[in-house]
Amino acid sequence: MMGLVEALGKAIPNFAATDWYGFLDMIANTAFAYLPVIVAISAARVFGGNIFLGAVVGLAMIHSALLNAWSVGSAEIEYWRLLFFNVRKVGYQGHVIPVVIAVWLMCQIEKWLHKHVPEMLDLFIVPLCTVLATTFLTFTIIGPIFAQLETWVLAGAKVLVRNPFGAGIMGALYPWTVVMGLHHMYNVIEAGMLAEGALNTWMPIATAANIAQFGACLAVGLKARNNKTKVVAVPSSLSAALGITEPAIFGVNMRFLKPMIAGTIGGAVGALLGAIMKLGAKAYGVTGLPGYLIIDKPFPYTILLLVSAGIAFVITWVIWKEEEKPAAAAAAPAAAAPAAAETLEAKAAELPQYPDTSDVVANTVIGCSAGELGQVTKGNVIPYTQLPDPLFAQGTMGIGVGVEPEEGVVYAPCDGEITSVADSRHAIGIEGPEEMDILIHVGVDTVEMKGDGFKPFVEEGDKVTKGQKILEFDREKIKAAGHPDTVVFLLTNSDDYENVTFTGQE
Amino acid sequence: MKEFKYVITDEVGIHARPAGLLVKAVKATGSTVMICKGEKSAKATSLTKLMGLGVVKGDEVTVQVEGPDEEAAAATLEEFFKANF
Repeated sequence: MMGLVEALGKAIPNFAATDWYGFLDMIANTAFAYLPVIVAISAARVFGGNIFLGAVVGLAMIHSALLNAWSVGSAEIEYWRLLFFNVRKVGYQGHVIPVVIAVWLMCQIEKWLHKHVPEMLDLFIVPLCTVLATTFLTFTIIGPIFAQLETWVLAGAKVLVRNPFGAGIMGALYPWTVVMGLHHMYNVIEAGMLAEGALNTWMPIATAANIAQFGACLAVGLKARNNKTKVVAVPSSLSAALGITEPAIFGVNMRFLKPMIAGTIGGAVGALLGAIMKLGAKAYGVTGLPGYLIIDKPFPYTILLLVSAGIAFVITWVIWKEEEKPAAAAAAPAAAAPAAAETLEAKAAELPQYPDTSDVVANTVIGCSAGELGQVTKGNVIPYTQLPDPLFAQGTMGIGVGVEPEEGVVYAPCDGEITSVADSRHAIGIEGPEEMDILIHVGVDTVEMKGDGFKPFVEEGDKVTKGQKILEFDREKIKAAGHPDTVVFLLTNSDDYENVTFTGQE
Repeated sequence: MKEFKYVITDEVGIHARPAGLLVKAVKATGSTVMICKGEKSAKATSLTKLMGLGVVKGDEVTVQVEGPDEEAAAATLEEFFKANF
C-alpha cells in the first residue's frame, strides 16, 4: 500500500498535493514508520520477556526527540555526552536487527533482575532498571555499531554502482543488506544521483533484487504442499512484486535459505542486465511493478523484471524441496547446539534397525472406560507399583505398567497424537482417544543421558497409529550409564476414567 | 478469567514429579487452567503437554484460570507455584 501511494504521488504530481494523498500516505506509512515497536513486541514475546517493556524499548528507539533515521544525511546529527560515550541522537525507524538485539538483551536483563530483586521491590525496580539498562546499552553500543555498518554499506554501494559488474554484485548483496536492516540509506544515493541531474540507476538494481525475491518466494508458494507455507509465501511474493520484500525475505526465503540464494542470483543477473541496458529512473521511492511509473524505458524494464524473477523462480523450483521443512523449522531451536545434535544423530544411526510396525501392541496392558492400550515393547510386563523409582511407583504420575525390554524399540500403544517429545529424547507424550494422556518414559533417571542413545521417529503434533514405531533406544548405552532400562508406560490422567485395569494388578 | 505470571526458580523446571503434582493441584481447584510459555500453551491437566512446554529455570510462565471460583483457584495455584517451582 505504501509503495502504491508513493508511486501514484510521484507519477501524478497533482495527486501528491491533495489531501487524499496526505491521508493515505500517513495510514500506509504507520506500520513502517513505527516498525521497531511492532518488532520489539513480537521479539519480547519470542524471547519470553514482558511485551510492554519490549514496546517501551521499541518506542524509545524511535522517540520523536531523536532524528528520524530516514533523515540521516539531510540533517545535522546531534550528540549527547553520556559518561564517555558520544550518543548520536538518531532513531531506529525501519530497523529490524538492532531492535531484535536490544529486546533480546532486555529479556536477559529482565530475567536476571526477576531472580535477584526481592519480591517486595520487584514490581517497582525490575521494569525501571530493565528499560534504563537496555536503552542505555542500545544507544551507546548497539547503535554505533550499526551506524558504522550502514556508513560502510553506503560507501561500498556508491563505488559499486559505477559499472555494470558492480551493479551485479550490488544486486546480489541487496537482499542481505535488507536482512541486516542496513538498506535505509539507499534513498540518499538515489536522491544524490537525481540531484546531479543524472538518471537514478540505483532503482533498477533494487528492482532486480526485489523482483527476484518475488520469483523465489512465488516458487516456494506454488511448490509447497504444506498449507501454512503456501498461505504465507503467496501473499508475501505479491507484496515483494510491489517492492516490499520484508515479508518474503523474513517470512519465507530466509527461513528456507535456498530460495534466498536463488533470489540473490536472480537479483545479480537482473542488476547486471539493467546496468548494461542503461536503465534509469526519473524519481525514487518505488521498485518492482510500481516502478513502471518512474522508469525511463518500460520495455527493457520488463525484460529486467522477467529475467530476475524468472531466474530466481526456476532456481528455487529446482533446488528447494519441501522435505527441508522439518529441518528448517527445527533449525531455530536446534541452532543452539547443532554440533551436539549431529553427533547424536551419528550415534543413533549405529543402533540396530527395527521394523516400522509391530503386533506386540496386540497385548492390552492398560484398559479403562476410554479404551485399551497395547504393550509398547517386547518384554516382561510389571505393574507400576514395582517400578524402580518411587516417583512412578507411588502413582504420582498416574497408573500403568513397566516393561523390561528385550529390544530397544517403542511402538505406539494406540492411535493418537504426539503431545511432547522431551528435549532429552527419552520420554514421549501421546494423547489417545477421549483425551487419554499417555506417558512413555524409557528407563529411570535417563534424562541425565541428555538424548544420547535415543532416536525418536516422531515430533510434537504428529499423528500415530497403534503399533507404529515411535522411538528406538540403545539398551547398552542405558546400562553403561548405570540406569535401569525399564520402559515406564503410564496413563497419567487415569483418575479421569472408570474401570481402570492394568497388567499385574492385585 | 484470572491470570498471573510466574518466573520459575526451581532447578528442574516443570518436569516429571513437579508436573505430576501440578496436575493434581489443578484438578483439585475444579477450574480450567492453561499454562503458557511464550507462544506455546498447554492445558494444565495434561501431564505430557505440560512437559512438552519444556519449562526450565528462568522461564516466565503465564497461568490462566477460568472457572466458577477462579479468584480462589488462582490464589491457590499461585501459592502452589511459589512452593514448588
